[in-house]
Amino acid sequence: MNTGIESPQGIWWKPAHRAERFWVIVAFAWCLVLFAMMPLWHFKGGQNPSGIRHKVEPEAFMARTQEFINAYQVGEENGIPIVEPPPGSDIYLVGLMWSWRPTLRLKKDAEYILHISSLDVNHGFNLYPINVNFQVVPGYDYGLRVTPTEAGDFRIICNEFCGIGHHLMVGRIVVVDDTQSTASAGGAP
Amino acid sequence: MNGSFRTCPTTGLKVHAQADGLIKANAVVATVTLLIGGIAAVLVMLTRWQAVHLLSAEWFYRMLTIHGMNMLIFFILFFEMAVLYFASAVLLNSRVAAPRLAWGSFGLMVLGTLIVEWTMFAGKADVLFTSYVPLKATPWYYLGVILFAVGALLVVCIFFATLVVARREKTYTGSVPLVTFGAATAAIIAVITLGHGAAIYIPTFLWSLGLMNVDAQVYRLVWWGLGHSSQQINVAAMVSVWYLLGAFTVGAVVLNEKISRAAFVLYVLFISMASAHHLLVDPGMGPTWKVWNTSYAMYLAVLASMIHGFTVPAGVELGQRVRGLTKGLFEWLRKAPWGDPGFSSLIFSVIIFGFVGGITGVTFGTEQINIIAHNTLRIPGHFHATVVAGTALAFMGVTYYVIPLIFRKQIAFWPLAKIQPYLFAVGMLIFSVAMTFAGTFGAPRRHWDMTFSQAPFDVQFSPAVDLVIGVMAVGGLIAAVGGAIYIVVTVWSVFLGRPMPAGSEA
Amino acid sequence: MPLYGVPQGIVTPPRPAPAGDDADAEHGIGGRTPGTVILVFVFLLAFVLYYFVNWKLLSFVWRIG
Repeated sequence: MNTGIESPQGIWWKPAHRAERFWVIVAFAWCLVLFAMMPLWHFKGGQNPSGIRHKVEPEAFMARTQEFINAYQVGEENGIPIVEPPPGSDIYLVGLMWSWRPTLRLKKDAEYILHISSLDVNHGFNLYPINVNFQVVPGYDYGLRVTPTEAGDFRIICNEFCGIGHHLMVGRIVVVDDTQSTASAGGAP
Repeated sequence: MNGSFRTCPTTGLKVHAQADGLIKANAVVATVTLLIGGIAAVLVMLTRWQAVHLLSAEWFYRMLTIHGMNMLIFFILFFEMAVLYFASAVLLNSRVAAPRLAWGSFGLMVLGTLIVEWTMFAGKADVLFTSYVPLKATPWYYLGVILFAVGALLVVCIFFATLVVARREKTYTGSVPLVTFGAATAAIIAVITLGHGAAIYIPTFLWSLGLMNVDAQVYRLVWWGLGHSSQQINVAAMVSVWYLLGAFTVGAVVLNEKISRAAFVLYVLFISMASAHHLLVDPGMGPTWKVWNTSYAMYLAVLASMIHGFTVPAGVELGQRVRGLTKGLFEWLRKAPWGDPGFSSLIFSVIIFGFVGGITGVTFGTEQINIIAHNTLRIPGHFHATVVAGTALAFMGVTYYVIPLIFRKQIAFWPLAKIQPYLFAVGMLIFSVAMTFAGTFGAPRRHWDMTFSQAPFDVQFSPAVDLVIGVMAVGGLIAAVGGAIYIVVTVWSVFLGRPMPAGSEA
Repeated sequence: MPLYGVPQGIVTPPRPAPAGDDADAEHGIGGRTPGTVILVFVFLLAFVLYYFVNWKLLSFVWRIG
């Protein structure tokens, strides 16, 4: 037997010990489980980062977001428009130094296609306090089919460094339960 | 050439004077950059700890950039250059191929380092370690990184040339030792890594000069070919150091050369997948790309680490058993030399790397689970367990052998050196577990003010997060004490320490 | 000669391991390492637990596709 700093002499391609062989097989089986879970979750799971993905010019994305805001705006808060789109629609969120526009008012258990992109540098979409995270890359439209499963007042924290004002970049999503009055779950001044 | 060798009285290895000098120079620069990165680490941590909140926003992000570059690039690569010279020239009794080029490359790396340090401290490169385009730094910053990378690539070439020289001059018989084999895989991965580095930093340099465009998503894709592959250099180098420390401290045997070497080869073959883990919630790539590139269907690099996770401790166990420590299941571990900082570093490095860093890393690197991990504190929690408590701690442990063997000095403040790995390991364990836990609540990484005091909307983190961040800070401070002891002990030993007894110089 | 400030692996280097690969020949080369076998299965258990706890955590968040 030799240590790791001695040159093995002669032929060292020999059968491994039983215990070592057993561990390699068990570890490999576990690796296959690790792999299988990912395709499996695409079929059985409710959370996948697939989305509808396009390249988009930042100006074009901003124009579409503005069009979206104009169509569904219901108010304004801290200079950020509040938008209440119909369930099932395409909704837009743009990150720019250092804010998220607009504030979204969504309905619980309705599906939306949430398009996220950036006007300038990379930003990070973190839905607080649920802890859902996506990378927001300028030039790319990430269209995620999103179904809010709980009502509440949520924040969008930027979690990709985007310059000196990074820590000021907080947005808002309000999810209202259809059974309640939409005004009571709040947000609009 | 023969006149420039000395024979090591401990190992009987012939050490080439140029190898001696190159190892020393690289180790010294590594320690200096570790000190810079370490001071930045403490400042960053004391800012994230909202109760102290030390730095201004500007200096926080600047220090975070300085911390990342010094630790992940300069400290670790200078140390790895030393490991490459050790694993080739010293372990194979060989001369260093092209020593003049080796010193030239070292100079190039130092020059690149100085340029990058200057741009960062001058506030011309507040772009963090990842420098995601279109966040822009001065062209000098990218130029400095390129010079450093070219120097490192040349050292890797010299490593391969030294392997050829040793084989041709028949300085050893049989196959290269496992540690050299592992270092060679690290070197191969380094070529892949530095290739990606050239492919991204050169266009980015031109972009910063206004000469071309760089797509933000393409940047992320290629940059992580550098960013994560470089961590795989660390893994391969660290595992080599594990085998080295096992051999030095308790005469750990290699259970089966075939299995251990095959595992190293898996690192080389399945390395590029690691980069995909950073892009799992990116808009540029589809699910098929993500699933395939995360795993290549079989997670064979994870398998490689799990194999080493068996063979390294089993090598220690068998090494102890064949020397008579055969009682029960764990006499080999109980009666191990726990007072030897080389041994304690080895064990803590294996355990924290595997149990904390490895498990969290593979879990967060799953396509869907990444949704609840990406860019939260879970990510730095993971990689502080791998690269700090794993790689850096293993490198610290091997330093306690390098100083007597290469620098020919006794270790100063020996009692402090003995407890250093304990402080560092316990501190980093608390630190990384607490950080990971805080990230589970969605606490963002790379963030100056988690109270969002000036933000347009209020954000209230649960008090649990404040508590956990406090725990993280305590752990980090313990680790910082351990790191400071390491620097004091090594610097003192090398420059002011007592020489090893006479008669040992050839 | 006792050496202050030198790791035991240098002061008293481990004696060479006995030659021969046949310590446990019928089960392949190497030898029995029962302690490590237990440790690696503790590791695997921790791995499996953490991995599936995270899938569970993921299943609690909004539906996203």
